[in-house]
Amino acid sequence: MDATEHGTIGEFGAHGWSTVRPVGELRPGDHAWLASHHPEEKERVVGDFVFDGLNTAQRVVCLTDVEPHRLPGMYARHHIDVRPFTEADHLRVIPWRLACGRQGRADPEQLGRTLERELDRAFSERFRAARILADMTWAADVPGGVEFMLACDGAMERLIGPSTRAIALCQVDLRAVRSADALNALRNHHEVLVEVNPEYDDGVLRMTRTYAPHGLRLEGEIDGARHPVLTDALTTVSRPRAEVHLELGNLKFIDLGALKMLGAHAMELTRGNGLVLDNPTPDLEGVIRMVGFHLFPGITRGEGWRSM
Amino acid sequence: MPLTHAALSYEDHDAFLETAVPFLREGAERGDPVLAVTAGKTELLRRELAAYDGAITYVDSADFYLHPARIVARVLALAEREAATGGAVRLLGEQCWRERDPLETQEWQRVEALVNVVFAGTGAHILCAYDLGLPPDVLRAAALTHPQMAQGATRMPNPAYQDPRDYLSTTDGRPLDPAPADSALVPVHSPDLRDLRALVAVHARRHGLGGPLLHQLLVAVTEVATNALHHGTPPVTLRLWPEPDRLVCEVADEGDWSPPGPAETGNVPPRAHEIRLGLWAVRMLSGPVQVRTGPHGTRVRIHTPVPRAIAASPT
Repeated sequence: MDATEHGTIGEFGAHGWSTVRPVGELRPGDHAWLASHHPEEKERVVGDFVFDGLNTAQRVVCLTDVEPHRLPGMYARHHIDVRPFTEADHLRVIPWRLACGRQGRADPEQLGRTLERELDRAFSERFRAARILADMTWAADVPGGVEFMLACDGAMERLIGPSTRAIALCQVDLRAVRSADALNALRNHHEVLVEVNPEYDDGVLRMTRTYAPHGLRLEGEIDGARHPVLTDALTTVSRPRAEVHLELGNLKFIDLGALKMLGAHAMELTRGNGLVLDNPTPDLEGVIRMVGFHLFPGITRGEGWRSM
Repeated sequence: MPLTHAALSYEDHDAFLETAVPFLREGAERGDPVLAVTAGKTELLRRELAAYDGAITYVDSADFYLHPARIVARVLALAEREAATGGAVRLLGEQCWRERDPLETQEWQRVEALVNVVFAGTGAHILCAYDLGLPPDVLRAAALTHPQMAQGATRMPNPAYQDPRDYLSTTDGRPLDPAPADSALVPVHSPDLRDLRALVAVHARRHGLGGPLLHQLLVAVTEVATNALHHGTPPVTLRLWPEPDRLVCEVADEGDWSPPGPAETGNVPPRAHEIRLGLWAVRMLSGPVQVRTGPHGTRVRIHTPVPRAIAASPT
């Protein structure tokens, strides 16, 4: 698998020189970024980020204007009621107004001071680690919001970057960001891009949900030993009348049995556009063409094919 | 429309032209796709059929008969497309039999028998030219696999013709040459075949096979081994050995399988919209594939040609 211990190296251009890591593999000093395409993606990343923190007795500080019990993914994904955690001050949910308001204005320096105080407090209260979630969606939609977010990111980077005990996750709902340039600027401020935890990862095969486009990324090797987990993942990701993309760029091997399963699965989805295969390796593309798999009903050639 | 599949046996060019020319001309006049695949007779035919230049596609045998399963699939796709629009493919074919080794000869003879099964119902017209100076066993197989004999515009039933299923079960019933005593032998237990693929890759690279051909072999071996684990009876084994210009991989199990027809052993391409891979896909991905079944177990032998330029030298 190309995903190293340090995560997958993103391509320069689309992501700048950044590292993509599943939320479960974030580490102290990471100041990570998520522009979520879909509410479920946000639930999975934010939910797992907060849950992992609570589950390992870390102080979790959430900068958000939602009520604690409406934190994404906490109930829907992890079935936990956050109230005992907020009551015990294990989880601190701070509205933006309190985090960065100064004389009626949002002040990034004030945010820096707030976070510094929160971290000091966490460590003085003997939490061994802390994580900060900043949901910046509100700022994307106000005049001067992007500049404010960039300034906040700068303040957070100064605080988190050198830390050996703190992780920060900045999150924005993609739909709220109107300018692609602003989005790129925000993303380029972060060395770590975060994604959902894999659906499945046994060191041989890793399957990760993708949200833009909707589908699955398959990495590693698939043969008869992993047909059942592939079926499960395909079933989970399928929605009526919606095409499902399979990102195959890091799929080193797939057997004919698994291709046949994909074919059968695509047939069931044909009322949409079935399965779209993106970026097969040259070897895989060769096999697919040779056995005519690309002509199966419900199978569509997506991005990155060498010949059409 | 029924398929016509006739043998044109000829002693000299005149005899060849007497039958080939009217066959090709008829197709050209009907506006059907016409292919003339011969061992070096393109100019000869062109001179006779100058008026139809452009309506007939001429190909040399060596460029056409590269791979049995792939050429069958390609011509079948063309024949089915034509049949769907009321036309009929017309193919004059002549193998380069003299350049084939025994295994290749057997494979292409099997294709002659399979044509009768695979193209039935496509209305294709297939005329196969045989030089009467070819070795007797080649001519004998031709007599068994062509339902008609052609002379001029006349077609006569061939009394020696054998049902293709019988022909194939006889051919596929012949014992395989034994594997060399020093071949690598590996037991196959688990459907997780990563170790097996790694082993095949090491042997393949040692014998000069890499890149896309190696990947195809790994897909083919995985399929056959998975089938043996799934449908066969243990013990399942893989044997590997090199032959001149080839690497051979054989998967064996002790199950008692009697496939009811040639389709079950992957000889018949899937129809459009049919989701079938299996042994047919293995044949598409590999060199000659030999399947032996019966009460003494199932053996699938995959031969992978090693490109001459990179084949390990015998020194």
